[in-house]
Amino acid sequence: MSRVLTILVAMFTIVVLMAGGMASAYLVGGLVEEHWFSGASRLTNILFLVLVFVMVIATLLTMAERKWSAFIQDRMGPNRARIALPGLKNRSLGGLPHILTDVLKMLTKEDLIPATANRFMFNLGPILAFAPTFALFAVVPAGPSVTVFGHKVDMVVATPDFGILYVLAIASLAVYGTALAGWASNNKFALLGGVRATSQMISYEVALGLSLVGLFLTFSSVQFPAIIGEIGSALTGGTGQAQYLWRTDGAFDLGLPAWGIIIQPLGFLLFFAASFAETKRAPFDLPEGESEIIGYFVEYSGMKFGLFMISEFVEIVVLAGVTTALFFGGYHLPFGNEWLANLPIMQEHGWLLGTILGTVFWLKVLFLIWVQLLIRWTFPRFRYDQIQALGWKILLPIGLANVFVTGALVLWDPSLRALGVLGILELGLLLVLTTTTKVPVTGSAHGAHGAHGHDHGHEAHASHDLPAHAHAVAPASPH
Amino acid sequence: MAYKVSKDPRTDIRERTYVPNLLRGLGITAKHFFRNLFGTRDTNTQVVDRTGTSLMTTVAYPEEKPIYPEGYRGLHRLVPREDGKPRCVACYMCATICPAQCIYIEAGEYSEADPDSEDRVIEKYPTQFVIDELRCIVCGLCVDACPKDAIRMDTYMHTPPEYTRQNFVYDIPKLLKGAPVSHPSDPWNKREGSEEPHHVHKEAHTRIGEGLVELKLPHGDHGHGKALPAATHGAPQAVVTQQGPIQVTKFIK
Repeated sequence: MSRVLTILVAMFTIVVLMAGGMASAYLVGGLVEEHWFSGASRLTNILFLVLVFVMVIATLLTMAERKWSAFIQDRMGPNRARIALPGLKNRSLGGLPHILTDVLKMLTKEDLIPATANRFMFNLGPILAFAPTFALFAVVPAGPSVTVFGHKVDMVVATPDFGILYVLAIASLAVYGTALAGWASNNKFALLGGVRATSQMISYEVALGLSLVGLFLTFSSVQFPAIIGEIGSALTGGTGQAQYLWRTDGAFDLGLPAWGIIIQPLGFLLFFAASFAETKRAPFDLPEGESEIIGYFVEYSGMKFGLFMISEFVEIVVLAGVTTALFFGGYHLPFGNEWLANLPIMQEHGWLLGTILGTVFWLKVLFLIWVQLLIRWTFPRFRYDQIQALGWKILLPIGLANVFVTGALVLWDPSLRALGVLGILELGLLLVLTTTTKVPVTGSAHGAHGAHGHDHGHEAHASHDLPAHAHAVAPASPH
Repeated sequence: MAYKVSKDPRTDIRERTYVPNLLRGLGITAKHFFRNLFGTRDTNTQVVDRTGTSLMTTVAYPEEKPIYPEGYRGLHRLVPREDGKPRCVACYMCATICPAQCIYIEAGEYSEADPDSEDRVIEKYPTQFVIDELRCIVCGLCVDACPKDAIRMDTYMHTPPEYTRQNFVYDIPKLLKGAPVSHPSDPWNKREGSEEPHHVHKEAHTRIGEGLVELKLPHGDHGHGKALPAATHGAPQAVVTQQGPIQVTKFIK
């Protein structure tokens, strides 16, 4: 029982820390807007969002990955490092002191450069791998734009018109670091890893972009603020993902929000798979492939290797942030959003609303990070031909089909409700398929398989008011 | 006759679409994760006896130690008598049977004139008793061979690590430990002249644990009697280690 309490207290501490971070981000933003110049809060956002939140979470992830993977595999995980202070002496503190020892190890290790390596390119590799991932988070809003001390404070570093295109462009820059590291090491295995990374990146870049086109069509924008949307009031409905497909009438808004996961479940699946491949982690860790080739960073040691490793973790955080913003409603609550935002106290103290919604955003990010680690420790690595087949033969055609279906449905029903029904049908089919097991096949395998899929389609069909043709174009699964 | 390799043997939609089965796999790992996150770890329990939510079977070694099974042959010990001296009578049985030849004994003799000489009940004692734990193959033959129950392997410890080989050579101060053992048939318990012991059956009198015999302890300043606690002089002392009296068949001669 004490163990459960300890874990709950730790979780609560994390939530409180996040809320504290967001509150200080908003308050400091309001202060600098007032005392420095208009737009100064964007500069403090760099500090708070990128350096504090992303960097701290990425640092903690180095530990969390080892500890969580241990729990998944029924091990205890690292717990030997201790801090020699009274009261802490004999406590493992969940393995947290290991972060310090890891940093110490990375910084004090010999920085070896192979004699035959291209020194300039070799040094450039880790920088090029690290910097783009770090810059990615600049366009992801972590909280609503609210009024603090009479000034408008946005919880985002930059809001360019090209929004998500920036993410796609910068994310593909990261492969230069990998490819350079592989080539400059003058090592056959490293080169193999670099080439693998490059070809994998090229195959998945297409699917990654295509998977988001449906979302662009739905919200008619490529900008994060437009996709995340503005919270509505009693008179006007919300925009973007803050709107409801259906909602109850009343002061407290309860309903089905137009989140990306609900209106674009297929797009989410494609985006998650493709961006997972971009982060180069298992099951897509072909470039590293530690059991076959050691990977593109085989010749790196010390903090240069550490940069590759930490950029991987930063990528996890950024991917979770982008996915939250695009598919999980950003910083919006699933219900009660408008009720909360229109409370008098929230209208008066904008930073309070920002703190609450910002904490919601980081909690969603944390959940997605956990899902990514769960995936990484569940699935084995793909074979190389499977990687390419998945990218070109499965993700790409489904992405194309998704674009056409989404476009047609948006044209037919601009209120997005038809898309919502289709999305719920897809999610329901997935749920049914996941929770049921295979029935023994009596006739020919193909016939049974087809009939099975249709059965579930009709069951789900009966319970919803579905446009006649939506059922026919519901390819929830590649065949 | 050619086997069609290209034909996908998976006919089920769940397998062919990957995603449902992937989700199920994620469910399994998530279950493990949460059970281990929230469950209290069973410490020092045999795996089959575990009841907790946590699935970890790790034994965090220096803090926790595994439970060795009953009858585990651990580190040797020289069994002390109640006065703290070793029960060993330096008969060389163990050194002789030892297949690894890791036991070295030097015998000393009690002199009759010596006031501390146990009155020649025991004639010999080991002046040196050395076991090289690195050579020992832990076969337990020395325990079987000992006629005086003077060497045992019931410490339930394995040999602890040392920095030098010399430290693995255990001498009497290192070996002599644990609870003292006493049997009614021990010669120092059977003294006081040379009369028959209380046992009725002659052929059984060397058996361990025959009844709860009142020990004939040496009185006054005889031998190791001084070392005994005062209580042992009073009521019949139950030093018998077995559960109850052993039924002895009387042989007809």
